[in-house]
Amino acid sequence: MKPETTQLSAGMAQSAYPPDIDGPDAAVPIPADASHRSYVTMLFNRHRVSLQRYLMRLVSPDDAAELVQESYYRLLRHGEMLKIDAMARSFLFQTATNLARDLYRRRASHRAALHVPIEDEEIIEDHLGPDEHLAGEQTRRLLERAIADLPEDTRTVFLLHRFRDLTYPQIAQIMRLSGRTVARKMAEAIERLSAAMSEAT
Amino acid sequence: MSTPHVKSTAAEWFARARSGDTDPAREQSWLEWIDDEGHQQAYEKCELAWELSGELRRSPAIVALLAAAPTARAKWRVPAWPVGLAASLLAVGVFGWRILGPPTSTQYSTGIGEQRTVALADGSTVFLNTDSDVRVQLSRRVRRVELARGEALFSVSHDPGRPFEVHALQGVTTAIGTQFDVELTRGGAAISVLEGTVTVGGSGNAAALPPVAVSAGNGVGYSQEGAVSQLRPAEVNRIQGWRTQRMIFNDIPLDAALAEYNRYSRRPIVLSNPALGSRHINGVFHIGDEAAFLSALDQGLHLKADKGDVQTVLEPTPGYEQ
Repeated sequence: MKPETTQLSAGMAQSAYPPDIDGPDAAVPIPADASHRSYVTMLFNRHRVSLQRYLMRLVSPDDAAELVQESYYRLLRHGEMLKIDAMARSFLFQTATNLARDLYRRRASHRAALHVPIEDEEIIEDHLGPDEHLAGEQTRRLLERAIADLPEDTRTVFLLHRFRDLTYPQIAQIMRLSGRTVARKMAEAIERLSAAMSEAT
Repeated sequence: MSTPHVKSTAAEWFARARSGDTDPAREQSWLEWIDDEGHQQAYEKCELAWELSGELRRSPAIVALLAAAPTARAKWRVPAWPVGLAASLLAVGVFGWRILGPPTSTQYSTGIGEQRTVALADGSTVFLNTDSDVRVQLSRRVRRVELARGEALFSVSHDPGRPFEVHALQGVTTAIGTQFDVELTRGGAAISVLEGTVTVGGSGNAAALPPVAVSAGNGVGYSQEGAVSQLRPAEVNRIQGWRTQRMIFNDIPLDAALAEYNRYSRRPIVLSNPALGSRHINGVFHIGDEAAFLSALDQGLHLKADKGDVQTVLEPTPGYEQ
């Protein structure tokens, strides 16, 4: 297990892709001569439909189409290539969510100031106002309650990973659990939260 | 509607993606599993729950739950906080969390052609130029910004007890209260100071070099490795230009002007012949106003634009090849 997995988007990649992958059971089958672009494109195409559908839950269909495109550019440009497909997918979805959040805040701040003087500019506060969240009030309340209702250990694992950005091994050490138990509790937390949200819609 | 089994399998895969597990055998079964419409939908719901729960970071209920969660710091913090103090910290809730909790970093970014102003909680302001990315971490002892891509102008609120550090590549620019610009360039980073004084030095492996003080009106550069250059004039015009969405070209070679223009455009402008790059250009252009820029090139430099899907090629008008 690597300790840096929760920071999929952090930092700039120093090494060019593709990394050294050899053997028939390498993580993702990449032809040896494949360029960075074609690798990213392959990866992106595998998750494109899913990403578009996901974004349509957050923003309008037109905006979703645009953010899908922008996410692809970000993935290409960022260069931080992850050879584990599911991790790359996490990065892609996180990027898309950030883009949707930016869009939402921009719209909210424009709505809030319809007749701003020319010099006034978009201001994003460190604290978000009630209208500047990607998740609506109802969704936030649902999630809040679902988190509070998690069994105690499960909740602690989730909180430490989600809000303190601790890795599974770090959490395992603090809570004196095995790494596998931490992963199992994370799965349980996610399953319950996603179920809580499904009930809402 | 996914079956309960699919839902819990999706959650297991999701948890595994965050674990750092790089077992190739499991990677193959992931690729097979995700290649299914119903599985994808169940997995998307996990992603949605995860991403949207991130919006709760500052919610009082979550802050209170977090305050009760164990921390690793307790292990090496000597002496441990008295129980009474810990309890009173719980009582102050959000405030206590913000002051004493581990700093979390917030990411702000812009796409190509986009600019953005971010007001930070300490009263400082970050102006992000095109195609840029910063991560901000405000803690009790230091205000730390990491410039991962592009360029940003920092207007730093005065706080002698909490230096404001901008980390870019192997270098760090430190201020207490001032205004300065940091740009990641092809070979390193460029700093221009508009107000006050900053220090610029190497970080990481380059930290041994003594930092250089740079005062208003001056600038420095440093290499990828963090080696700091001689002082030079600050790029005042260019920075004030981008802050007001303008590119100011004061009799500079065309190739330099195009490099600047292309930072803001998805469809770069290139020259049919590199020799054309030595022609000089003058003028003030609005960022994003391609038509005005191309028309000025046509009239002033006799260059015609051939717009393609991916790039625009400039060619000399017949009779003006030299």
